[in-house]
Amino acid sequence: MADVNDEPGKETHGLSRRELLKKAGVGAAAAAASGAAAPFSFAGPLRFKGRWLKGDLSIIQWVHFVPAYDDWFDNTWCKQWGQRNDVQVHVEHINNTLLDTRAAAEVAAGQGHDLFMNLHPMASYEDQVINHKSIIHEIQHKVGKYGQLAQLSTYNPKTKKYFAVSDNYVPDPVIWRHDIWNGIGAAPNTWEHVRQAAPKLKAVNHPIGIGQSQELDSNMALIAFLMCFGSFIQNAHNRPALNTKRTVEAVKFMTDIYKRGEDASIFAWNPASNNNYLYSGTASMILNAISATRTPEAQHLPFADDLWIWPIPRGPHGRLGLEHVMSCYSIWKFAKNKAAAEKFLADLCIAGKQATLASQLYNFPTFPGAFPFSKIRRTAAADPHKPHGKYTVLTTIAEKYTHNIGYPGTTNAAIDEIFSKFLIPQMFAQVSQGKLSAADSVRATQKQVRQIFAKWRARGKV
Amino acid sequence: MTSAWRQRAFAYGVAVPFAIVLAFPFVWMAVTSLKPEAQVYDPTKVWHFHPTLASYGFLFHHTEYVRWLRNSCFVGLLVVLITLAVALPAGYALARLSGRVGRSMGVGIFLTYLVPPTLLFLPLSRVIAQYLHLSDRLWALVVVYPSFTIPFAVWLLMGFFKSIPQELEDAALVDGCSRLGALVRIVFPISIPGILTVVIFTFSLAVNEFVYAITFISSSSNRTLTVGVPTDLIRGDLFNWPGIMGAILIPSIPLALVYNAFLNRFIAGFTGGAFR
Repeated sequence: MADVNDEPGKETHGLSRRELLKKAGVGAAAAAASGAAAPFSFAGPLRFKGRWLKGDLSIIQWVHFVPAYDDWFDNTWCKQWGQRNDVQVHVEHINNTLLDTRAAAEVAAGQGHDLFMNLHPMASYEDQVINHKSIIHEIQHKVGKYGQLAQLSTYNPKTKKYFAVSDNYVPDPVIWRHDIWNGIGAAPNTWEHVRQAAPKLKAVNHPIGIGQSQELDSNMALIAFLMCFGSFIQNAHNRPALNTKRTVEAVKFMTDIYKRGEDASIFAWNPASNNNYLYSGTASMILNAISATRTPEAQHLPFADDLWIWPIPRGPHGRLGLEHVMSCYSIWKFAKNKAAAEKFLADLCIAGKQATLASQLYNFPTFPGAFPFSKIRRTAAADPHKPHGKYTVLTTIAEKYTHNIGYPGTTNAAIDEIFSKFLIPQMFAQVSQGKLSAADSVRATQKQVRQIFAKWRARGKV
Repeated sequence: MTSAWRQRAFAYGVAVPFAIVLAFPFVWMAVTSLKPEAQVYDPTKVWHFHPTLASYGFLFHHTEYVRWLRNSCFVGLLVVLITLAVALPAGYALARLSGRVGRSMGVGIFLTYLVPPTLLFLPLSRVIAQYLHLSDRLWALVVVYPSFTIPFAVWLLMGFFKSIPQELEDAALVDGCSRLGALVRIVFPISIPGILTVVIFTFSLAVNEFVYAITFISSSSNRTLTVGVPTDLIRGDLFNWPGIMGAILIPSIPLALVYNAFLNRFIAGFTGGAFR
């Protein structure tokens, strides 16, 4: 697995002769092993034969940021899968911010789509969904292990239940204007670099754009920021762990960045605000999925070639990032065509390579065997946009610096609620706006976190 | 300077800046809808850009925009009819026939209007799906929307009916009219401004509603404008601003014309209940 250098933009893309021979040897051994195992792999009956799957299959999911992905999914994948399995597939797309509302309504009605896709693991609906264990086993049988990120995100070790199957996740890199940062002689390699550069960037009218609002991007950026400072909402045993000195220090640090390098608009941001801030030519740095670089490229914005991608800046505890969004499919207990939904989901995950390519590398497969990182890296390196090879590092980010919400524990119902209630951005904003001291804000948030954990513990879910 | 001239100058001095402020969002919508997508984000191209109708072309050829408009009109018109059918007799009865109890009931009805859809959509989901079997059908909205348009309309009409002198009805009753006859021949014709106000407001409320529309309707072909625009013109965190602005501007124009055409009656309808 390649690491990143300490200087953004200077990542090596080539392989040494020694590495090449090593990888070739591993590849040859793997090929030989899989060839030898082939007769056994296909021996015995497959769980899903597909012959009994008649009828309709309804799916609801977000409007993907890459139109080509929806086009592939709706018009190629679903059509072909439907023909192969004698099932009429209906796909409905809704805006990502409306998925939670829709899920709540379907649960309340006890009626809805056979497959429900959300952009975060719906751990709080564990009782309303089937155990997806058999689907995961089926996929693992075909393409290998479920990635650890997805495992930690969709499995509840307490109840031993898979409440969802994730087919892909989206890395959350730092996207920064190389021309502007270069102008002040800096680069966002560490959070300390960011803090030092913040006032200089603001002075040249190109502030940093990290939100402190009740929305997805702020949530992701600030939770990851905490992790870089060694502060975590819960520990590895899924117990609340927010109220620490490190959290207080991190909150003070971000408040400093806000006061010196941002403006008050970050308190009213929505999921599109950081993108718009960047596209208008104002922002010098944001944390976002690569939609923020793909759009300027597609629209030939004058600074498109100056948008560079880099992993989250390193903090005192290291470089710990989160997925930007994570596609998670769940099958309701009340779904009408569970058998078709299970088979569809399994086949979709197995086709991880097609899906990743259709998404223009926005999606990364959660079953790494479906499209190994080494191959994704080669595809990313071949991206023609300037600076050449800028997407290569995305593979490293996806492989090494992307963790689950709730890391180092699992994504559980309590974490899901804390995430959905935007308690972390609120904790930061109260300090940045001068309403509370860092210590008081962290203490107050920890109190809420404890209450939420207690509630879910009482229900036997944490 | 004559006093008439001073008065006119004062009126324009107040009205013109106010009109500019209120018209600005519409100008902004029109301007943005004519921009190429790449120039929306360019601060140097706020007013100087190459106008294009591409966003309108996208709306009409690559989305189901016309269908969303049709769906919104269908729902809006039916909701107006249902609301009038219920609110006219209810408003009249509460204003004329029920005395102090009527006043309390009027307040009670209005209070139901204050319960937000964000609280009601969950229980109503069950009603729509399991009891009425109207999931993903426009009729779900036709059934649910009157739950908030009727209380508002009843309240508005109640105030308006109270402003109509009782003597006019008494005269009609003395001349041999039935209660219903007096209502149809005397009260309703005088109440046209109030009824018109209810029509316009009910239609606006129904067309603007979002929470129920997103909850009860899922297929693109059954969406109303309020759901279709944010769903099909926002991809993840990418907004198709020219398309969104064009999509909003188009229905704004006829609504603005209707408002203007009936402005005087509309004001009379709204203030009707304020004076006796």
